[in-house]
Amino acid sequence: MPFTAWSKVVKEPVTIKDPLNREAAPRYRGFHDNDVDECIGCGTCEAICENEAIDLVPVDGIETKDGDSGLRPKIDYGRCCWCALCVDICTTNSLRLTNEYKWIDTDPDNFRFVPGVDKKDWYDKKDGWRKPEPNYEFYGLKRVEMGELHPEERDDSFIEMIQGYSKEQAEAEADRCVECGICTATCPAHMGIPEYIKAIRNDDLEEGLRILYDTNPLPEICGRICTHKCETVCTMGHKGDPISIRWLKRYIADQNPSEKYKKILETDKLTKNGKKVAIIGSGPAGLSAAYYLSLLGYDIEIFEKLAEAGGMMRFGIPEYRLPYDQIDKDVNYILSLGVKIHYNTTIGKDITLEKLNEDFDAVFAGTGLHLGRSTRIEGTEHKHVYQSIELLRKITEGEEIHVPEKIVVIGGGNVAMDITRSLARLQKIKYGKVQVTATSLETEEKMPADREEVVEAREEGCVVNPGWSPQRIEIVDGKIKGLHVVQCLSLFDETGNFNPQCNMKNENFFEADMVVESIGQGMDLSYISEPTKEHLEMGPRGRIKVNDYFQTSVGWLFMGGDTIQGPDVIHGIANGHKAAVGIDNFLTKK
Amino acid sequence: MKELINKLSKDFNITDAVYQRPSLTFVTVPKGVAISLVTDLRDYEGYSHFVMMSCVDWIEEGKFQLLYLLHNPETKTDIGVKTFIDRENAEMASAHHLWKQVWTYQRELKEAFGIDFPGSPRVDEDFVVEGWVEMPHMRRDFDTKEYSENTYFPRPGRETNDPATYMRKKLYPNEPITAKKQDNDK
Repeated sequence: MPFTAWSKVVKEPVTIKDPLNREAAPRYRGFHDNDVDECIGCGTCEAICENEAIDLVPVDGIETKDGDSGLRPKIDYGRCCWCALCVDICTTNSLRLTNEYKWIDTDPDNFRFVPGVDKKDWYDKKDGWRKPEPNYEFYGLKRVEMGELHPEERDDSFIEMIQGYSKEQAEAEADRCVECGICTATCPAHMGIPEYIKAIRNDDLEEGLRILYDTNPLPEICGRICTHKCETVCTMGHKGDPISIRWLKRYIADQNPSEKYKKILETDKLTKNGKKVAIIGSGPAGLSAAYYLSLLGYDIEIFEKLAEAGGMMRFGIPEYRLPYDQIDKDVNYILSLGVKIHYNTTIGKDITLEKLNEDFDAVFAGTGLHLGRSTRIEGTEHKHVYQSIELLRKITEGEEIHVPEKIVVIGGGNVAMDITRSLARLQKIKYGKVQVTATSLETEEKMPADREEVVEAREEGCVVNPGWSPQRIEIVDGKIKGLHVVQCLSLFDETGNFNPQCNMKNENFFEADMVVESIGQGMDLSYISEPTKEHLEMGPRGRIKVNDYFQTSVGWLFMGGDTIQGPDVIHGIANGHKAAVGIDNFLTKK
Repeated sequence: MKELINKLSKDFNITDAVYQRPSLTFVTVPKGVAISLVTDLRDYEGYSHFVMMSCVDWIEEGKFQLLYLLHNPETKTDIGVKTFIDRENAEMASAHHLWKQVWTYQRELKEAFGIDFPGSPRVDEDFVVEGWVEMPHMRRDFDTKEYSENTYFPRPGRETNDPATYMRKKLYPNEPITAKKQDNDK
């Protein structure tokens, strides 16, 4: 200390308590507040903090669930410089800085706290720094638009309507991702989503492909038709459009040529372990199990009832959404690992399940839901009342189907939209006009179909008229005249059971020459014959009971896919992957 | 203000003019003209009060943008003179002879951005960060986080969680996971 400073020792201190207790400026950047109900614990504040002043910590009473990590930011004011970058980047706008700047405490540890959780005096202060809205964003709130064929370009053919991202578009969309990873938990396969989006940003698409195949061996398929639940929890979706995760996945798969897959994924030489696994069904679950078991060294043989592989992905989803050559790309790569496939082979008819048990070390069954369900209303026995699943299969097989001028489809799910739009295309080709009406019990807001499916169906000339309960099909002189319906008021009773309530006075009639039922599918387990069936434990709702690794009570029989969970492709893939781990555990510990 | 700018345009190469509000205008001029324009504004147009001087790092363009903000106490208007200089070996003619307080601003800009103002008194002396040996800290390529990591120690007892890893442990601890995610846990 300089000697002259000693002269100040007896003077009054210059620093005095603010006698007026003056309020800071309205946009002053003081201590933090966080609306913990809005916050989802994405950690973007922590990632941007230049001073590493923020930790993400668990908080009592906040649950970890889909779309919310359950963590909340804790600030260390020994490091915070009040720059407010954490506020400016906040994806939910939950974090703010109040204009409170005065706080005296003798314990330095008190200057670390969780805003919005640990009680502080300034939370009721409205002033301070908030992210100004609108147009003050570090990232684009709007997703990069996906090019698609206009309705008039696509409504008379089955060519693919989604065009895919260019390099520039994909990189721009990838650039919006904040890499929080909240989406990973919601994806049934728990894909490394932020990691593969980062690979796009780095233009390292081979690394991107490796990340995709870590958890999903059907990326071309999923990149087109995945139910993309991940996007429903995307942190960017809170204030803008969620990242187009599905289209980015497709971009990686599209850009990697199939002939380079083995080199990129290092599967040129797989060491065999001498054990064999039989797989029933070549849908997503079966193919996924086949892939991951192959990597573990197992010899795989798939038994497929139909003439081509893919299950519902090929025979249920129309070609304009999922072109067959893209299914082939994913399937052929799996087959190239040495997986054998027996087409046109029905278990229980051509070969028994017990025989598979004799010839193989374990069996995985991913047989899907291939039986259409009927409303069983009057008139459904008519020959021109069809099941959607049956028609979709015939369209894929190239078989000519009955396409009259007026068609009614009963059902509000994605399969109903698939058959509605497929029939519309066939009508357009045959008659030059579309007269398909889709109706469902559910109202517009509660229709289970993806919103875009409904919008696109309407763009293509289909009528979607939801909220009606089918009563009877009118048949005159052996010909269908149409469908009588009444207004559906509700679907479920107070206990949550399916129990539709209708307003019988509000009737409607949809003219039609043909009716298609698309109200869900059932499973065909007739291939499981008595000796095995006896030992098979059943779970709730007529489903077969499996453990965490999709192993049934029979031991050597594993089951997954739509018969167990879902129904959708990504659950099938996840089931197949986990069952592969389960089969490996079962056989190595045997 | 527009009249004034039109008049100045005859003598100075004004490349851009932004009429922010009636009492505030920004003009952009080439580097070689900036000090002459500031002098002209002070001596002939009544902008006798020097408000402040600042800099913006336009790293993508390889430029620094300097701003001289002047005030006319009679008309109660402000004019900001902007100019771009090269970021590499950044140097600008000094304006210390116009107002004494410019010394201090130029000294600050030398320390914070590394811009030299030859002839400006005490321009090489420390301003705020005594003994600073790193890259000038207001340059955008100065990595503040790396500096924090290298300079300061974490407070004992601090721990954080990666949201994706934490959610996996809580929600699906037994699911098959990628090698990458396993690495993150270590």
